Amino acid sequence: MKAWAITTTNIKRLVRDPSTIFFVFVFPMLLILVLGASFGGGFTPKVGVHVAGDGVYAQGFADQIDANEEFESIDYSDSGALLEDVERGIVQMGVIIPANYDDTLASGGTATVEYVGRLDQSSVQYRASIEAVATDQSAVFGAARIVEGEGLADFDSAVTAAQLVASGPGGSEVVVSTTGEALFGDIGQFDLGAPSNLILFVFLTSLAGSAALIQTRRLGVSRRMVSTPTSIGQILLGETGGRFAVAMIQGLFIMVGSAVAFDVKWGNLLGAGVLLVLIALIGAGAGMLMGALFDNDEQAGSMGVFIGLGLAALGGAMFPLEVFPDTMVKVAHITPHAWAIDGFAELIRHGGTLASIATEVLVLMGFAVVLLVLGTWRLRAKLTH
Amino acid sequence: MNVLECEGLAKAFDELVAVDDVGFHIAAGETYGLLGPNGAGKTTTISMISGILESDAGKVTVAGKEITTRTTDGNAEIGYVPQDIAIYPDLTARENLRFFGKLYGIPKASLGPRVDEVLEVIGLSDRGDDRTEEYSGGMKRRLNIGIGLLHEPSLLILDEPTVGVDPQSRNSILESVELLGQSGTAVLYTTHYMEEAERLCDRVAIIDGGKIRAEGTRRELVELVGQRDTINLGVIGSAYRLVEALESMPEIHKITAADASVEILVDGASSVLPRILEVAQQSEVGVSGVEVVEPNLESVFLHLTGKALRD
Repeated sequence: MKAWAITTTNIKRLVRDPSTIFFVFVFPMLLILVLGASFGGGFTPKVGVHVAGDGVYAQGFADQIDANEEFESIDYSDSGALLEDVERGIVQMGVIIPANYDDTLASGGTATVEYVGRLDQSSVQYRASIEAVATDQSAVFGAARIVEGEGLADFDSAVTAAQLVASGPGGSEVVVSTTGEALFGDIGQFDLGAPSNLILFVFLTSLAGSAALIQTRRLGVSRRMVSTPTSIGQILLGETGGRFAVAMIQGLFIMVGSAVAFDVKWGNLLGAGVLLVLIALIGAGAGMLMGALFDNDEQAGSMGVFIGLGLAALGGAMFPLEVFPDTMVKVAHITPHAWAIDGFAELIRHGGTLASIATEVLVLMGFAVVLLVLGTWRLRAKLTH
Repeated sequence: MNVLECEGLAKAFDELVAVDDVGFHIAAGETYGLLGPNGAGKTTTISMISGILESDAGKVTVAGKEITTRTTDGNAEIGYVPQDIAIYPDLTARENLRFFGKLYGIPKASLGPRVDEVLEVIGLSDRGDDRTEEYSGGMKRRLNIGIGLLHEPSLLILDEPTVGVDPQSRNSILESVELLGQSGTAVLYTTHYMEEAERLCDRVAIIDGGKIRAEGTRRELVELVGQRDTINLGVIGSAYRLVEALESMPEIHKITAADASVEILVDGASSVLPRILEVAQQSEVGVSGVEVVEPNLESVFLHLTGKALRD
């Protein structure tokens, strides 16, 4: 009961602070959104298409781009507007089909289609797809010219016949197959970033939250608690409970919020829940330890952020562990972050269960026990000596 | 019956001996002062009495229950008011009181009314729902004391409760402590303000260097160190004739005459003064004014430790 009073007071103090609300709840969700939108899967590039004339072949080129599922095609009546939107990133590329496209082809000439892209890697990748459309059209028109040259049909009829042949069965097809296991599998746009952000922010909040514990000590509130008929054990339980509850609230908010807002699939719920509880316990233990080791709340707050970000970077909560060299992957596993990320990866990407993350769970339990014991031991010493 | 009994308390921090063989007792309704300069060992002593700090040696009992850092039974008898303003600044006064009320084990049903009572006593009823970070220093001090009173303890420990407060709040705090003594609560009051100890305390211990140098009522302390009262008489007529007449009185230790005044050093001014006035009348020396200066605890402290009480 007394420990519960201390725990609920910690939670009450947290929700009173507007800056904490922002950093605990709003900022993580924003980051999941931004990272998911920027680097996550499920992104469909937009191509702006401007057909300057009214020829059927020009429109056919545009229709073929529109039929390509890799892109979202947007028609532009003004080439200037298209160029501006490419520059501003509203569309990722632009295709301008000239007014004389049909006439040039009909007269046996070479029509030039203008591709406008940005100076980045993805532009080169998109260009290849547009060039493939041009190559398809060139093959049709090349065949039509041969038929026309042999006097078998006029150009337009020959084009129609060639298009029919091109759309029919036969010909060659490239079949793509993969070897090895997919790194990230078939996951949603936000599925990769959400667990990393959960781990990063729960630890960050727990470590930075050690400042509140130091403030409680410096104000003399902790000593005053000791003077009441409340055992040290209950005080430590209440303070640990406060830290744990804050971490759990934040973690649950990120989990549920990202599932509802961004359709993040956390996989096996029991497994994900166990991982979250362990992460919150480790965060609580780390926060208690920092709160006992430091005597200055400002120093602890800034060190908490520094250590939190450092561990996150090292442990793979900022960059996927899969891009780390082997040695760095081993080093990463000195942090609880890497084990937690491994656990979530198994649940989210490979449909794992609690049983399949048993190793990660045991290691995280070890981290939790060690940090909680160290944290409560040092805090007890601070309060009574 | 003694509410507090402590004996042989000792505490050292590495090489520094903060408290050395400190012992005293406080009866119900008695206000006991620990008077000493900063660093004398007052806070360390009361931290051990409150069960906050583990002692190296000694024993403390409050209302017959032993107090240590490992026991909690006796702590319900203690109201501890630390020198720091130990309240949550981001909670209201009511929330702070409710929080500590729960830790003191006040039943849920009586907690609300008791919080209202304490807010009334400390004069914060109309500001009880404001966050304490918006309070003045004096208001915070009053709340700090209110938390200690919440569970109606047998022993109230006040650690320098007037440090850094304005004169008005200070007076209000002192009046509250006087009332507590009258209500039967045993009060342990630490201060380095001599006038507070003189005003409030039934008995005072002079503490310095972690040791109690002397203990007793103000009068006992003064007598213990041989300090005497000074009577200053304003005279009309010959001061020297009065000196001659008084010299034969055995209670007078020293007498000095000036133009229109006589300074007399005596034991127990209240008992000697009527006789002195009688002698003056017999000597036909008029008395225009009388001032009695009793030796204070400042002079006792100076005598015992060789140094002055400092802020």
